[in-house]
Amino acid sequence: MGQIIANAVILGCTYALMAIGLNMVYGLLKILHVAHAGIYTLGAYVGLLIFRTLTKSLWPGLVCAMVAAGFAGVAIFHILYKPVLRRPRYIALIASAGIFAASQELFRLIAGPYPYAFPAQFVFPAIRTKFFYLTSTQMLILSFTVVSFIVLYFLISRTKIGLAWQACMQDMDIAGTSGINVNRVITLNFFLGSALAGAAGILVALYRNSVFPTMGALVSYKAFVVVVLGGLGSMPGAVVAAMLLALVESLLSAAPWFEFPRDALAFLTMTIILLFRPKGLFKR
Amino acid sequence: MRRVFIILALFAVCAFGQQAIKVGFIAPLTGPAAADGFSALQSALLAVDYINAHGGINGVPLELVYYDDALSPDQAAALTRKLIEGDKVVAVVSGSYSSTSRAAAAVCQELKVPFVAAYAVHPSIVQVGEYAFRVGMAAQIQGRIGGYFAVRELGAKRIAFLIMNNDFGISLAQAFKDAATSLGATIVYEKRYPVGETEFRDYLTAIKAADPDLLYAPGYYNEAANITRQFRELGLRCWLMGDEGYDSPKYLELAGPAANGVFITTDLDRDSRRPITQFFLKAYEERTGIPADMVGASAFDAVMIVAHVLRQAGTDPKAFIAYLAELKNFEDAATGPILMFQERTAVRPMQIQIVLNGKFRHFYEYGPEEPIIYYTYP
Repeated sequence: MGQIIANAVILGCTYALMAIGLNMVYGLLKILHVAHAGIYTLGAYVGLLIFRTLTKSLWPGLVCAMVAAGFAGVAIFHILYKPVLRRPRYIALIASAGIFAASQELFRLIAGPYPYAFPAQFVFPAIRTKFFYLTSTQMLILSFTVVSFIVLYFLISRTKIGLAWQACMQDMDIAGTSGINVNRVITLNFFLGSALAGAAGILVALYRNSVFPTMGALVSYKAFVVVVLGGLGSMPGAVVAAMLLALVESLLSAAPWFEFPRDALAFLTMTIILLFRPKGLFKR
Repeated sequence: MRRVFIILALFAVCAFGQQAIKVGFIAPLTGPAAADGFSALQSALLAVDYINAHGGINGVPLELVYYDDALSPDQAAALTRKLIEGDKVVAVVSGSYSSTSRAAAAVCQELKVPFVAAYAVHPSIVQVGEYAFRVGMAAQIQGRIGGYFAVRELGAKRIAFLIMNNDFGISLAQAFKDAATSLGATIVYEKRYPVGETEFRDYLTAIKAADPDLLYAPGYYNEAANITRQFRELGLRCWLMGDEGYDSPKYLELAGPAANGVFITTDLDRDSRRPITQFFLKAYEERTGIPADMVGASAFDAVMIVAHVLRQAGTDPKAFIAYLAELKNFEDAATGPILMFQERTAVRPMQIQIVLNGKFRHFYEYGPEEPIIYYTYP
């Protein structure tokens, strides 16, 4: 039981890392950013490339993956979303879904259809207690998630750009007229969210020891479930919802009598919770 | 007059010359199964090159017309129709999974064109009618062999199942279960997981608590590699047994050292000394730069068999299926000699392989004298 909960927490961390970026985009632009999952895959591939060509250590790959993913996110905003910001939001959604589908085939064309192993070496403490065992990879995911969320929290609540970001969340037009450089805020927003997605990609690649073109497919909708569950645009909501979903999934799917597939469970949980809390768990 | 003669001569060349015999091929070249589609296609093309280098079909070159089914049964059916009606192929080979192969087989049966599935295992594929054949192992045989091996040879009494929830996993698990329980084993845990699942720690924790002697986990290599790694990580102490879906160098790469000691049922024996097997393994790696897998070997064999039948029986569909149904001891197959076709499914000696030091090695073989390798007991 302790082991199942421990594993669920790690799974929750990977969901949360993805969901936070999606939420940041939705909060600002009200766009469902499907291409986020493509950025996640990009992160994994960049990490793999650095790992295979330059160094056998994990850390440079992680940094490069985050930077590359961040820039890719910014590029998606400037090329894809910015021209259609004044149009109905479904246009951006369709463009986003299109770029995600295209990115999967692009990865396949460049890197081949086969999955690659990602046996990066790194030193990180593992925890073994009587009730559960967390491997060093799991500990890395956990600590990375915790640290990045703390950093993000301070960035948003304690810095000037964070304040500007909060203002843009509330009303972008008014924030713009009060002298905030909205463009810069959105760019930073995309950069940070995408960097986290890139990090999630490489961490999950490490966790599963595989990188393949369609690795984003499952994540693309799982992260949406998390975002909707937590309330669109609510950051703490996304984190709690990610943990909750991972826990429900893990506990139920361990039981042999439970015949429902894990991924359908995500939507079932979402349906049930939305019946009672139509705006998500944490949105008032 | 002279001009007329030249034109007539040209006609003659066209009529009696090198009009290639076309064989159709479908495989998932894009989408989630693109890796297997790539293996299958490259191996089929390798077989065509081999056949054409060895005299083609009685002097006429063989040509492979191939399309991407993207693992969609609708697309497979439409493309099979296009292959037959548009490209005028004389036979269709499927290098795709069970669902797409079944759709293609149904079209071939309707249009009365021979169909050969390379590695799709589901029983229903050959059940569409007398035009549908299978070169790979049927799930019934493979699962049964696994069950016998687990109970008779490994002495497993308590067996846990972790089953991929699709045609492939379910039909293998069913046959395994029937064989194992008939020999007195008990099932201590059973769970189905969806294709594409990556997180097995919950299932494996529960399996560990159930304390089995052996875990049978039929599925494809991506999922299998995760099962294997997490199986070792959680410290399970029982045998782990898989199927031909594991039979890929990518499984060994993704699972790493965790794969050591895993048993699989398969039809490709890399330790075999048969020249055609060694030719295939070597030529595939030269062609693609990666080692061969079971999927590729089966696609290679499917094309080799079609070419053999075309040589012997010609392109007439009725003669083709009559000859193939009666074919005995076909040696030119990378996956070992094909003894016969029963219910239009290939019967061959069955391999149990074990992973040792990052390689699939020969462990045990059920030969022609073992009744359990036959589709229906003779």
